[in-house]
Amino acid sequence: MHTKLRLELIIEHMALNRARTILEDAKLTGYTILPAIAGFGAGRRWRSGDDLSMAREKSVVVAIGDETKIETALRELHKLLESQIGVVSVSEVKVLRDERF
Amino acid sequence: MLDLALATLLSPVILFFLLGLSAALAKADITIPEAISKGVAIYLMMAIGLKGGFEMAANGLNLKIVSVMITGVLLSFTLPAIAYALLRTTTKLPAIDAAAAAAHYGSISIVTFVAATQAIELAGLNNAGYLVAVAALMETPAIMTALLLAGRHRPKSQNGETGLIREVALNASVVVLVGALIIGWVTGADGKAQVQGVFITPLQGVLCLFLLEMGLSAGRGLRHGWRLLQPATIGFGIYMPLISASIAAVFSALLGLSAGESALLMTLAASASYIAVPAAMRIALPEAKPSIYLTLSLGVTFPFNLTLGIPIYIAVSQFIAG
Repeated sequence: MHTKLRLELIIEHMALNRARTILEDAKLTGYTILPAIAGFGAGRRWRSGDDLSMAREKSVVVAIGDETKIETALRELHKLLESQIGVVSVSEVKVLRDERF
Repeated sequence: MLDLALATLLSPVILFFLLGLSAALAKADITIPEAISKGVAIYLMMAIGLKGGFEMAANGLNLKIVSVMITGVLLSFTLPAIAYALLRTTTKLPAIDAAAAAAHYGSISIVTFVAATQAIELAGLNNAGYLVAVAALMETPAIMTALLLAGRHRPKSQNGETGLIREVALNASVVVLVGALIIGWVTGADGKAQVQGVFITPLQGVLCLFLLEMGLSAGRGLRHGWRLLQPATIGFGIYMPLISASIAAVFSALLGLSAGESALLMTLAASASYIAVPAAMRIALPEAKPSIYLTLSLGVTFPFNLTLGIPIYIAVSQFIAG
């Protein structure tokens, strides 16, 4: 098994494309996007489909890569999250196939 | 006017809205699958656009219609400035939240517009299909005014700018509405005969389903967001549509519009966006709180217009038109 970093980003729908560009520019080209169904934040409950504007929709992006790529992405994500709604976390994970990441 | 208000309030469309609103406020567990509500929204845009296009094909384009279109664009540009000034003087909203909320009041709610067309038919007034084109034209200028008002808060990154332009220009409601309007205009009576079984006859029933969802959405927004709104802000959500409608009424009188045309223009001016503008604001003014502007437009102004606003606008337009 090989040690890698797993970046998990919860991001509002309207900023998702910009987040994707950041990951792709950092060569993290194997990410996956999952729908966020519901949650609690900014003092209120939210749920996917609450309104038709998509203004409050969120997605979860999962990317696994080596430290260099993750750090490159984090620098740009930090700038993005200064204005857009999102939460980013990084954890250490083990992967089976080193060459994939 | 009381009869008209009662007839509007007791129409299936409004009753389904009130059912959704009260169910959400009572925390009833009703959810319309997201894919259905989005599909129905696109269906409604197509149906409304086609209906307007067919009527334009039948009646043609003339100077009066062009004048109303220009008036609609002017209203969309200027109403946010009035809304912003009122929000800044009467509430404690920060400039960025006030600008974002103001943008919603220059843009339009197509569902409010459809509800008004139904009420106008109920009142025995002539509907004016070309006002669908006016509605489409009024969707986006307000966003530009809001950006000017917010000024230095505008994001500077090129990505944000590109995203905003794409969101504004290719917003689903604008693309489908304008596209369907053109298709209806081009195909005319022949096209109408081909699609009326799907897009004209069932419109009322589908609208009931959509307004149930809108009621649920408005109720959920109010339940979670009302704490964020001061009484003065809630008051704005009720008096701003009346101010906008009054300004539109003056233009209607100057242009010599019929009662039906005037009522629809007033409704367009009075309605507040809850699809195109919130999405654009998340890109253009991300610091603004969606809980404030969405609760205000969807939770306060939308129910007000549906239940009380539309009968008022029709009564005033009848008075103006004599």
